[in-house]
Amino acid sequence: MKILIVDDDPINRTILQRLLGKEGHEVITANNGRDGVEGFALHHPDLVLMDIRMPGMNGYEAAREIKTLHASHFTPIIFLTAVTDEEGLVQCIDSGGDDFLTKPFNRTILQAKIGAMERIRQLHARLRVQKEELELHQERVNQELEVGKHIFAHIVRAGNLLDAPCLNHWTSPMTLFNGDLLVASYNPAGGLHIMLGDFTGHGLSAAVAAMPVADIFYDMTAQGFSIGDMAEAMNIKLLSIMPRRMFCAACLIEVDHRQQSLAIWNGGLPDVLIVDGSGRLVHRIPSTRMPLGVVPMTREDRKVEILEIRPDYRVFLHSDGVTEATAPDDGMYGSERLESHFDGTHAPETLFHAILDDLEQFRGTAQQTDDISLLEIVCDRAGEEPRGIEEKRQRTAIPPTPWEAAFTFSAHTLKSVDPLPTIINTVMNLQAPSGHRERLYTILAELFSNALDHGLLKLDTGTKKTPEGFIQYYTQREERLSRLDEGSIRLELSHTPRPPDQIGTEPRGGEIHILMEDTGSGFELDQVHSQLHGNIGHGGRGIALVRSLCHSLEYQGRGNRAKAVYRWTL
Amino acid sequence: MSGTIHVSRSDKETVIGVKGRFNFEMHSQFRAAYQSDSGEDNQGRRFVIDLAGTEYIDSSALGMLLLLREEAGANESDIEIINTRPEIRKILETANFQRLFKIA
Repeated sequence: MKILIVDDDPINRTILQRLLGKEGHEVITANNGRDGVEGFALHHPDLVLMDIRMPGMNGYEAAREIKTLHASHFTPIIFLTAVTDEEGLVQCIDSGGDDFLTKPFNRTILQAKIGAMERIRQLHARLRVQKEELELHQERVNQELEVGKHIFAHIVRAGNLLDAPCLNHWTSPMTLFNGDLLVASYNPAGGLHIMLGDFTGHGLSAAVAAMPVADIFYDMTAQGFSIGDMAEAMNIKLLSIMPRRMFCAACLIEVDHRQQSLAIWNGGLPDVLIVDGSGRLVHRIPSTRMPLGVVPMTREDRKVEILEIRPDYRVFLHSDGVTEATAPDDGMYGSERLESHFDGTHAPETLFHAILDDLEQFRGTAQQTDDISLLEIVCDRAGEEPRGIEEKRQRTAIPPTPWEAAFTFSAHTLKSVDPLPTIINTVMNLQAPSGHRERLYTILAELFSNALDHGLLKLDTGTKKTPEGFIQYYTQREERLSRLDEGSIRLELSHTPRPPDQIGTEPRGGEIHILMEDTGSGFELDQVHSQLHGNIGHGGRGIALVRSLCHSLEYQGRGNRAKAVYRWTL
Repeated sequence: MSGTIHVSRSDKETVIGVKGRFNFEMHSQFRAAYQSDSGEDNQGRRFVIDLAGTEYIDSSALGMLLLLREEAGANESDIEIINTRPEIRKILETANFQRLFKIA
């Protein structure tokens, strides 16, 4: 060991130097405090033996300076003292000394103390190396997490329309990665799909599982699949990738402002709460399905709750991080306190922030133990598009070419799959008039649902006029579809490019002829006529809409053949 | 902060009692409680999860129950969750666990 002796008494120095030299230590000496500090900086000793009373800088000051200047490395300082009063000894320790040795020196005690200090010094050195390694590791992990977070955010945000005017959302991740997935996007018919998913656990593992779910959400929404279809696809994906003890409590919502309907699939999330214009709770949609990623889904599990929406409705969706948020005294926020906001005393438009403020006040300084998300859907703004949506749409132009396609769907097909997304995608791949996708989707979807609902299932549109009837309509539809065993729907599509305009030489647009025919008994043409002109109630909206979008629309045969012509230009 | 686990076994049955907070910190304790009793040699064994002293249950705990179910034979497993207080029952039912476990 390299030992520095700081003492103004040459006799003491000599005794110590001999004593330590015999033990095999390398010894450096200094005559006073100032020299001691300089000697320390020069030689980096492993241990310091320090006298107290010295001319110039005394031992206390020297010790304090050495400890301050070399804070990162631990070098023990043992005071050599004649004093035995308590205060003097306390001062030794206070000024940074690690031990003291009373004069005259006892060889055995000196050896023992040097040995003990050496053990502590080595322990410190080991700890420092480990600390540095940890810090380096932490730094690397943080950098990787930052990159991961960036990629995650971009996958989840790609096409995310959480800034839609009808949505208010707030989410507070517990860690760098959010285990709550909150996504929103428009389907081709202009309906808004929203999903809140809450994965078991937090952080990275939850975020990794969230990525394919977000992908499926955007992909299938863009293709026009229903939320029930999406829930099933996500379930299959999560079953195959997640460990058994992980799952995703999720709620998927479709807001169709045209049909004034709300479809909700709730698997494991807290009740979806719907408030009316008076700020009172009017509907509660509890979880009726298993969370995603637990067991394979049955046909029943794909079913959604359908609700008629009124313009004054506000829909509140939250993860259990809200109700299970804890206060500093460990109490939980609870659904009662959350729902107490819906007692009619708050103006509806202030509810969202009132809840957040109350939650923040409740939590106080308590540590966050889960990801927290709250989302509000303002129904009367559901039709408004977010700013900048036009730029988000891909604009590709395929020159118009002539083509034809025909599909026939049997009862068997109709009750097991929704063929519409596939048809739309076929058409879009053949001829993708940008900006026309939504319109074409709407036309085909309306004609198709008319053929199926009224033609084959013989449902009465009139039923939908009252709220009770609205629900009854969808229940009946479900039931009749599951029993459907005969009949079919035929769809013929043909496209012809339209002549070039006066300036260009290339065709700049085209005409799509659509024939939708069902084997049902049709309806009285008079009735069709009145329906087309009346357009009251929910069912009638569809036909009026198709009429407004098409160049022409007529019903033929016994009312079971709809012929529509859609014209488009680039 | 987390809870404690008490296990009692007979020939046909393993009773696992969870006291306090049933959360992610209980993972290894809970798994250790049933692991020696699950698997091939223990087909037909009944598991009873006693939540009488459970204050709180989080989604990681639900995940542990799913893992137990899997390791006890999935659809062939015989698992009953007993003494559920209303708040805990609500959490189990929100996840529709009554379809996978007997809940009393």
